[in-house]
Amino acid sequence: MNYKKEKIMKQIKTILIVLVTFMSISCEDTFLSPDLTTGINAENYFSNDTEIEAGVLNIYDGVQGVNALQITNNDLNHGVQVEFYVTEMRTDNTETKSNEGEAAQFEFFDIRSTNGIVADYYRSYYNVVFRANLVLDNLTNASATKAITYEGEAKFLRAYAYFNLVRLFGDIPYVDKLISPLDTQTAFTRVATTQIYDLIVVDLQTAVANLTDGGPNDRASKAAAEGLLAKVYLTLGRYSEAQTLLESVMDPARGFGLQTNFKDIFYNEGNNEVLFAIGYLPDTRNDSQNFSTEWLNAVGRTSGVNYATLDAKTALDTYGGNRTAFSYREDQSQAGKYQVVKYLPDGDANLGIAPTSSDSRSAGNDWIVLRYADILLMHVEAIMAGGASTTSSNAIASFQQVRARAGLTTPVTSITADELLLERRVELAFENQRFFDLLRFGKANDVFTAYSAANGLGYTSTDLLLPIPQIEIGLSNGLLSQNPGY
Amino acid sequence: MKLKIKLTIVLILLVNICISAQTTYTISGVVTAQSDKSPLPGVTVRIANTSTGTQTDFDGEYSIKVKNGDVLEFSYLGYGTKTVKITDQKTLNISLSEESSLLDEIVITGYGTQKKSHLTGAISKVKNETLDQIGVARVDDALVGQVSGVNIQATEGEAGSAPTIRIRGTGSINGNSGPLVVVDGVPVDEDFLGSLDMNNIESFEILKDAASSAIYGSRGGNGVILITTKSGKEGDLRVSYNMLTGYKSAHQSDAYHTSVAESVALEQEATGTLSDRTRVKQLIGVDNNWQDIIFDGGIFTDHSLSLGGGTERTKYNAAFNYLNDEGVLLSDNFERTSVNLKIDHKLNKRLTVGLSANPSFTTQKRFDGSTHDILRQPSWLPVYLDENSIQFVNRFRDGGRYANAKIGDYAIQRMFDDYDLVAGAPSMGSGTDISNTSNTNPAAKILERDRVIQRNKFLGSIYAKYKIASGLTFRSKASMNYQYRRETRYQGVLSSRNGASASRLDSTVTKTMRWVVDNTLTYTKEIGKHEVNAVLGTSFENRKQTWNTIQGSVFQDDIDPTINKAASITNQDAYEWKRTLLSFFGRLNYAYDNKYLASFSYRRDGSSVFGPNTKYGDFAAASLGWNAAKEDFLKDSEVINRLKFRVSYGVTGNNDFRTGDQLVNNYPYLAILSNNTTGVSGGAQNLVVNPLNIPNPDLTWERQIEFNPGLDFALFNNRISGSIDYYTRTSDQLLLYNPISSTTGFSNALVNLGEVQNSGIEVELRTRNIIKDKFKWSSTLIASKNKNELTDFAASNGQIQNVDSKRAAEWINLEGNPISSFYGWVVDKEIPLEFINDPYHPIGASAQDVYVKDLNGDGIIDDDDKTILGNPYPDLVWSFANDFRIGNFDVSFMFQGSHGAEVRNMGDQYIFNHFNSAQDFNTSTTPDQQFIREKIFTNSIIQDASYIALRNVNIGYNFAEKTLSKLKLSNARLYVSAQNLLYITADGYTGFNPESINNTSATTYGYQRAGSPVFSTMSLGLNVQF
Repeated sequence: MNYKKEKIMKQIKTILIVLVTFMSISCEDTFLSPDLTTGINAENYFSNDTEIEAGVLNIYDGVQGVNALQITNNDLNHGVQVEFYVTEMRTDNTETKSNEGEAAQFEFFDIRSTNGIVADYYRSYYNVVFRANLVLDNLTNASATKAITYEGEAKFLRAYAYFNLVRLFGDIPYVDKLISPLDTQTAFTRVATTQIYDLIVVDLQTAVANLTDGGPNDRASKAAAEGLLAKVYLTLGRYSEAQTLLESVMDPARGFGLQTNFKDIFYNEGNNEVLFAIGYLPDTRNDSQNFSTEWLNAVGRTSGVNYATLDAKTALDTYGGNRTAFSYREDQSQAGKYQVVKYLPDGDANLGIAPTSSDSRSAGNDWIVLRYADILLMHVEAIMAGGASTTSSNAIASFQQVRARAGLTTPVTSITADELLLERRVELAFENQRFFDLLRFGKANDVFTAYSAANGLGYTSTDLLLPIPQIEIGLSNGLLSQNPGY
Repeated sequence: MKLKIKLTIVLILLVNICISAQTTYTISGVVTAQSDKSPLPGVTVRIANTSTGTQTDFDGEYSIKVKNGDVLEFSYLGYGTKTVKITDQKTLNISLSEESSLLDEIVITGYGTQKKSHLTGAISKVKNETLDQIGVARVDDALVGQVSGVNIQATEGEAGSAPTIRIRGTGSINGNSGPLVVVDGVPVDEDFLGSLDMNNIESFEILKDAASSAIYGSRGGNGVILITTKSGKEGDLRVSYNMLTGYKSAHQSDAYHTSVAESVALEQEATGTLSDRTRVKQLIGVDNNWQDIIFDGGIFTDHSLSLGGGTERTKYNAAFNYLNDEGVLLSDNFERTSVNLKIDHKLNKRLTVGLSANPSFTTQKRFDGSTHDILRQPSWLPVYLDENSIQFVNRFRDGGRYANAKIGDYAIQRMFDDYDLVAGAPSMGSGTDISNTSNTNPAAKILERDRVIQRNKFLGSIYAKYKIASGLTFRSKASMNYQYRRETRYQGVLSSRNGASASRLDSTVTKTMRWVVDNTLTYTKEIGKHEVNAVLGTSFENRKQTWNTIQGSVFQDDIDPTINKAASITNQDAYEWKRTLLSFFGRLNYAYDNKYLASFSYRRDGSSVFGPNTKYGDFAAASLGWNAAKEDFLKDSEVINRLKFRVSYGVTGNNDFRTGDQLVNNYPYLAILSNNTTGVSGGAQNLVVNPLNIPNPDLTWERQIEFNPGLDFALFNNRISGSIDYYTRTSDQLLLYNPISSTTGFSNALVNLGEVQNSGIEVELRTRNIIKDKFKWSSTLIASKNKNELTDFAASNGQIQNVDSKRAAEWINLEGNPISSFYGWVVDKEIPLEFINDPYHPIGASAQDVYVKDLNGDGIIDDDDKTILGNPYPDLVWSFANDFRIGNFDVSFMFQGSHGAEVRNMGDQYIFNHFNSAQDFNTSTTPDQQFIREKIFTNSIIQDASYIALRNVNIGYNFAEKTLSKLKLSNARLYVSAQNLLYITADGYTGFNPESINNTSATTYGYQRAGSPVFSTMSLGLNVQF
């Protein structure tokens, strides 16, 4: 009996061993290569227009950045949401409420190379460049018509990112395609600003040629590309080319114009004054913004940043006209402190502004990159062509159009560069234009020196450029040089 | 539960009565020591598996009633136990030999076992003799100081949180440097250690060198901890009950508390007067120590009941455990219930089958906040408004925000601003501001949040063992490990300054299923003096995880917050992944005449984590040993009882890394696009795709190559025994999630890069100092020295990085130094108080900035003046334990220490308010401002993390035999246990837990942010067996 049992067992054993050996050989390949079931395998992606468009929208999403109150990780990219720190707060326009912490380094012109916000902006905008390069690298499967548009959008956004980077950091790495982490030569070599501007100009020219008007203003359009290229030309001193582009946008047939009420520019989204904006949606985790709430009194992560300075308040009080009420207000919680009202998340009953979101920490106010008033004032600047003043009637017409909307109807016969700069300051206050305007007009050094002396700040001429983030320097093994003064 | 115990007792008594209904007679004899034939008094003589027993008298004589078939067991501490079967003997004289014979205990080696005397690798065995009577909640906490080369650090002090385990230093320099944990042959997540019941553990085997762990191939790289749970033994039902209850309290930091009184005295002495701010603070009349509030201590209770027994054919063991640990932090709590069932059944001479099932349920309530954030709050702030403090509340401020404040409300710093000292009342804009934050009360942040992690786990396995022929066995085992983890985090309407609009509920469910199938063929044969032991096997492993999360925002109130009460669903997300491992392995052990030993092993692992060309890794090892003491020239030595030389060489691997994204962790060779991101187009939400990673199709196994000579010895009648090991472990092709330039579009990339060497010496020395009848004393000294060096880092050599872009203190990874070294400027001197703006607010006389040294003397401070400031790796870790047995009492204590490690204590920056602003010092009067830098970038916050702790003190009373037999018990012990009664930290260390380390990557290790405190426990326990 036992013998029989043993025989059976022996057979079972043989079967088992064969089975195991068999299993280990035959299923090996599939067993060791489980499919990716969530997430998308990029290898099979970007095969049609829908998929490529998801990549295009991803570039805008890069500029949009992450709401730091909804997704809390300092290492994420916050994109345009932290732009005010590196632009507006480095001017006479804004400061922190309490003059404290890392954020206060900007207003004191005391930025350290370890400043996390500077690193965030650098990282974010190179990430935008990367996302654009990814689309440009994957255009082959797009339909012929769509490929043109997608190329235009990608190049518009790449140029927009580089235009900001080059003005803030000076010579920077030149990345116009996808690069591997091993390509440290590209990643850590700073090239001259002129080469960066060459790329920006070519990209924007492509965008102007490839894009059309008529889409939503949170997507790139021909007009947006023309306007941005005009600003690039102004920066480079190519005034007549700028003027041509601006007059093309100003053609009434294009459909752009000023809002009657200044307030509506900001609180009536999708209006025809805005040529290009970064879209946000209220009360969403992925697509809302927190800069609006950071500008309030200790509702966001900060205790209040981007507060209007007394200097800005005085300028607005004197020259703002009816724009002033919709530019700043006194902090209801803290007398003597002034908040920006262009992007309020929770509204203001006194000003007739309704809340834009139910939770102010996930605000939906769009960020305006380019609007028609800017086009008009750039038109004046293009005609002035680097001179001290202009009496051109075309220039005066554009200038007056902006002032008239503000209720300032007194006619002028000439415009000086300082008057234009002042007009830009009050019209575009707190819209991250002031720093770049002062640079472009060649007034930054004078204005900051005076402002710094009057307020006991630490401005020196090397503060016009931000430091290259210390983390990049640390990883570069000596390849990457720092800007002077840091 | 009490009723259950009673029922069990009745049941057992009944069983006992049944058995004793046989004919008995009295047997007697003398017990002597084998070495000198002297009589041994006090030897325990017991009928195996019963509670019947006696002891030898002063002349070594005994007598006891037995019956045929009984097995008599003679045991005596320090001597080997002897068992004799009763077959009508009337007298039975026994000689016991000293413990040297215990050397032939069996050691579990992974897919097999080996005689300890035949070991050629570095394996430490820890038997659970009294570990279950140490008052700790987790099994890994009990292992601290038990084994050389194993550093267990309480990096988190929260109830139920896991310590960090490192075997022979940090090998892998990526996220995971922890050892592989294997429970009864089943690999589990390290996390599983929190679900195990110490009472149910038989032993730990720790495979330290590569030759020993190479059988686990790819995952043996950081060492292996094999855990064996208790199995049933042949005999009557044995019941064991252990209970332990105690109190935990935190060790506080003196430096992290400045009382109002101290601030006042400091300012008075320095300036001769008090500023308005200080006067207001004084008037509020509160002087809190926030450490008292958030380190509230707690009670813990542990009950464990096990039942085991069996027949020759069927053996069973069942255990039940309940633990509740209140933890030392405010609101943290850990509760565990687990059951462990094990049954083995021998079907016939050849076939044995068995199963085990281990469900466990844990609920961990977390301290949902950061101690550094709370402890930086000033002492004048009360938790709640009371009759005095309410008078200072400014009802006009902040737009009348605090107009309705009442007694019992949380006190918020801003409420106390703008107080008019002259009028003696809050003012409308002309008073003194004393707040330094607009945040809500720190206690509210903890008390108004509820974060609970619930883990339901099931580990089960079945096996069949078939004896094919003499010495040849086939074994097949299948096991499954399922974990359901649910984390809910509710941030209530009072938990932040933003009220209801910031209230949130996050609920995340993670389900992980893991199955493993092992098949092994084992062959053992002794031919003359040759002994062979061989294993061949295959292993399949499959792991699958699904993850789902949902977030609801804005709750009207805190009443029963569930997701459907949220105003809106603000986030929903899910993912799943799968990973597999396929292995073939074999090992051959050979011994000749018990003298010459050799062992070879090989494993080939295929992992789904790597791309098609790099899936497989080969891991081989060889080791040799020589039992010199068995040679003729030493055989009769009076001095040397044991002397074994061994040497091993082996290769192991690692395929584990952490990138922060689960998909990338499991499919790093693919370019993955997110499918859960949205963007805005035309004012509407649209799907966007964003790359998650830079794919690396060439990514492959990290390797560890280890060379380990060592020796084991026993001297003077085994009075002194121990082992010495030297090792060098070289890790190369390190799996790194290395920082890269952000111009690539990414911040990190996964690469194989570099080489790290750990080398060190481990010593274990055990002595039996006194072996007397009524007094025994033994000591154990364990020490490990380790040196960590980055030997190759290719193009990344010298890379400098930080862990937090907001506080960008730097680490350097430089060849010739440890993997992670702190980097920065060297402090020259403090800025004199006269130049500090507002030195007495908010906390006494402390600046965020400091003068640093111009190391290269070029007159400016820049990157060239930075240098290495220290490293987080201990040079020496040791423990010294003593056990005493005095009559029926046993006393033991263990000191444990660590020396040479440093931490970057960011807690200082928070707590001493070094976060204030750029306006720390007066920019118009302060001299040499170009030499001033923030302290966080200097060695000001690099602190010596050395410590010496009195880890354990245990005092037990073992009930005398007489009492035991009266009570029908086989064993009873009453004990008190204390942990960390003494805890001495190094000079200059300001925090409350030098072992606390934030979870950062291995290239930026040693970051401490206050963390949670070291705690001591005092507990009382009772252990009963019958």
